[in-house]
Amino acid sequence: MIVALLILHGLLAVALLGALTHQALSVVPTSATTRGRTFIDRFRGVNGPAYATPIVVLFVVTAIGGALLYPQYRIDVRPALEDTQNSAANGVFEIKEHLIAIGLGLLPAYWLVWRESIDATVASARRGLTWLLALFVWWSFIVGHVLNNIRGLLP
Amino acid sequence: MKHPAVKIFSMLFGVFYLAAFYFDLALFRYYPEARQFHWARTDGIGVVILWYGWIVTAALASAAVAIAVPRSIAERLPSRWVWAVTTVVVIAMLIYERRWFV
Repeated sequence: MIVALLILHGLLAVALLGALTHQALSVVPTSATTRGRTFIDRFRGVNGPAYATPIVVLFVVTAIGGALLYPQYRIDVRPALEDTQNSAANGVFEIKEHLIAIGLGLLPAYWLVWRESIDATVASARRGLTWLLALFVWWSFIVGHVLNNIRGLLP
Repeated sequence: MKHPAVKIFSMLFGVFYLAAFYFDLALFRYYPEARQFHWARTDGIGVVILWYGWIVTAALASAAVAIAVPRSIAERLPSRWVWAVTTVVVIAMLIYERRWFV
């Protein structure tokens, strides 16, 4: 059961990471003359507002999955890391749990700025909130995968 | 922003979360080995998870302030403060968490 939940958590995180990366790049300012020419231009040429609600849902559902997995981590993994003096691994995970919690608090404002009609103030808020959430999810995704595989990664 | 209280909530959530974490203000504690929730510290039943309690503490505190702040004041607050304050919170958290890497 815990393995199935871990795999589902990972798959949801992939979807969230992809959606947020598309949206985060879509708010990067570009000049009209270069738009649409390269792969990167097409990657970020998505309809940003259409991504907001799915991102909120994916973030919340993935965080709930992580919260359900957390007791197993606390009982089995963290003591093993402490026994092997691997405090850096515990540290990066601790940062991950803080970033996800702070991200949950940002979601209401993030969702609202993507629902509003665009002006300079809203554009700045969209960019800041989306990049922060993207940073949080990228960190959490990488840390989650490294810790999941840490016994194979460390000598 | 049409719902300025939401702006206040999101701006303060990280601040209250950091305070709850730093000052150990978890609303409740979960003991996964015993599968029990407790309001207060309970020794002898294994490791404890405070994270759930910190999140609920931060949510309740920021919601209370968001409701209490008058709409006229909340409307004057620039939207960029939400991510700017959160960025400062993240930097403060990272500075504190350096303790794991020394």
